Amino acid sequence: MQLQLPGIGEWMAAFFTLCIFSFLYRDNVLYRLAESIFAGVSFGYYIGLARLNTLEPNLFRPLFSDFAGHWPLLIPFALGLILYLRYVPKAAWISNWALAIYIGYYIGVNLIQRLHGEVLPQAKGTMLSLQVPPGQLLGNLVIILGVLTVLIYFFFSSPQRGPLKPAARIGVYYLMISFGASFGYTVMGRISLLIGRLTFVIHEWARPLVRAVFGG
Amino acid sequence: MKKQVPILLAVVASLCPVVGFLLPQPWVDEWMNRRLDEWMVIIASFALVLGVVSVVQVNLHKVRRRSRGWGFSLALLLSLGIMSAFGLFGGQGERADGSLHPFTWVFQFAFSPLQATMFSLLAFYVASASYRAFRVRNVEASLLLVGAVLIMIGRIPLGQAIHPLVPQIAEWIMQFPNTAAQRGIIIGAALGAAAMSIRVMVGIERPYLGKS
Amino acid sequence: MKLARKLLLIDRRIIFLLVLAGAVIPILFPIGLAVQVSPPVRAVFQRVEALRPGQTLLLSFDYGPSDGPELDPMADAILRHCHKRGVKVVGLSLFPLGGVDMAFARLRQLATELGARDGEDWVNLGYKDGGQAAMKAMGDNLALVFPVDANGVPVGEIPLMRAVRNYNDVGLAVSLATSVLGEWWINLVNAQFGVDVAVGTTAVSAPKYYAFMEAKQAVGVIGGMKGASEYEELVAEAYPDLAGLSRTATVGMDVQSIVHLVILFFILFGNAMFLATRRTRQEA
Repeated sequence: MQLQLPGIGEWMAAFFTLCIFSFLYRDNVLYRLAESIFAGVSFGYYIGLARLNTLEPNLFRPLFSDFAGHWPLLIPFALGLILYLRYVPKAAWISNWALAIYIGYYIGVNLIQRLHGEVLPQAKGTMLSLQVPPGQLLGNLVIILGVLTVLIYFFFSSPQRGPLKPAARIGVYYLMISFGASFGYTVMGRISLLIGRLTFVIHEWARPLVRAVFGG
Repeated sequence: MKKQVPILLAVVASLCPVVGFLLPQPWVDEWMNRRLDEWMVIIASFALVLGVVSVVQVNLHKVRRRSRGWGFSLALLLSLGIMSAFGLFGGQGERADGSLHPFTWVFQFAFSPLQATMFSLLAFYVASASYRAFRVRNVEASLLLVGAVLIMIGRIPLGQAIHPLVPQIAEWIMQFPNTAAQRGIIIGAALGAAAMSIRVMVGIERPYLGKS
Repeated sequence: MKLARKLLLIDRRIIFLLVLAGAVIPILFPIGLAVQVSPPVRAVFQRVEALRPGQTLLLSFDYGPSDGPELDPMADAILRHCHKRGVKVVGLSLFPLGGVDMAFARLRQLATELGARDGEDWVNLGYKDGGQAAMKAMGDNLALVFPVDANGVPVGEIPLMRAVRNYNDVGLAVSLATSVLGEWWINLVNAQFGVDVAVGTTAVSAPKYYAFMEAKQAVGVIGGMKGASEYEELVAEAYPDLAGLSRTATVGMDVQSIVHLVILFFILFGNAMFLATRRTRQEA
């Protein structure tokens, strides 16, 4: 069996991986070079992504293949170009028109999403029955008490006095337990990313390299 | 003209999805949902690339002036140029012969390891922060620590090996106290965001006007 | 107590080295610890299991390479499950920074592994900008947002897409999400179009999704690498012929166990040193 060295892609990926890891020792030229290349490739990726996935299939192709059927697409095309007028000092104010439409639309969508898709179903999900078996009752009570006290804590507009004060305190306790849980999950998430990189370096670069050089 | 027109456009644009949602009429659906959604996909695409122009301007300026760290700016511009050229003049994914288009190749062997490694550094900093900053200074911090420790033990296979109850306790915390707190946060944040949306819709907040 | 104070100020690179050792050793020498399945992951599995052969699952790759180690194994396990059961998969992405390439890689690799046919058993519609706008438009017609697939083939020419016009033709939508996109699939797509949604998410975001799941806005949640390993376990249990295939999340959980222990040690030891130095200060 002929043993193969890692390919050029693997070498490049391993090089960049080690450049970034070198930051753990201290800031250095290789890390900053890798960081700059990362930023450049990311921005370049956005440009290619926009052309390949949205602008070509959803705008240019329909316009060029069937203009009569798709001419209204000239409107978003024009609005998209107008956004770039912000880089032309004398005409920058015109870009606000396109920006206003863009932001306005998403503001409207967001309003419905938040009220219809979050507040109502989440409030409904909290209206739990208390006429349930004891095991379930405890859970339901924990949720009802928690949601109410956390919301009381979030009431910034009124000072928390009288019975609101201990209620808000309980809300803080709930939040702390939840943030603790989030921290626990965050640890897992971060380790997962490290596992991914180390697995690549060990199994896809170092191991084939060692095998190719030393055999086995 | 410079102020009134954008405000009017923002108000109308923000009302469209709301009317489209509340008024299920065919013509409303056609113009305020279908067409507008289709157009927004295109405008969003232009918007996605908008910031790249500033990045190019700033870094070109640095290179021209030979400012401190101009070499890194040059590396950024070169990699940006190469990647965008691959994206603008080539394809994506696999070719018919199974090889990768250059755009996808650079993604796989440069972008992907760089981004993934950058984020993986956080594993080390989480460990360091756990040691240096995670302190039981008061009741709140103690609850945070207890929650974190229980979830950490309960979510790994070793927790199950210690006692079958350990993962069950972790799951109970997630299902009840955590759900309650997250629900409070979701409702509170959603009401805040909705209030902000209404302020924009009536023209009180004007984020689209910028500093002008 | 000088020692305690010295230990508290230990060079962070020593901590980094211990974390690195805790991660590398189990990668080289796997332990093979058993994984216990939690109810939120079982709920997703059962919902996919309830889909009839020929029904469509919409799989949205809403993540980039930095979250691949957590979400790639979920994609693999779900795709294996679907291909095995004859459930059609419509893949797409709404996450700009790499989503489409994650979709390319996973869909192609798993199809090759299980012999699923492009355009008949699965399709990759690619990426689209616009987020909520794209989600809303897909409720009317997927072809409006994705007129061609990721390879440029018009959707009208793709056999699988002839039976899928909009969300009404989708049995379940699964978003593998790193960002707010998973929430949008719930608070927009599920809320406004009524399609069942399940979310596979990074561990960092998992706690939030419990609130959506408990309110029955999501059928279930697969949280982080642990959730992925649970789904791998469920697929292996239900389909023993797939049990021999690679299970990267399950292998990763060995590493998780060791590094978690290292970090737990740091938390507890750090606090013990902190309490010791505080007591000395109070006594003084």
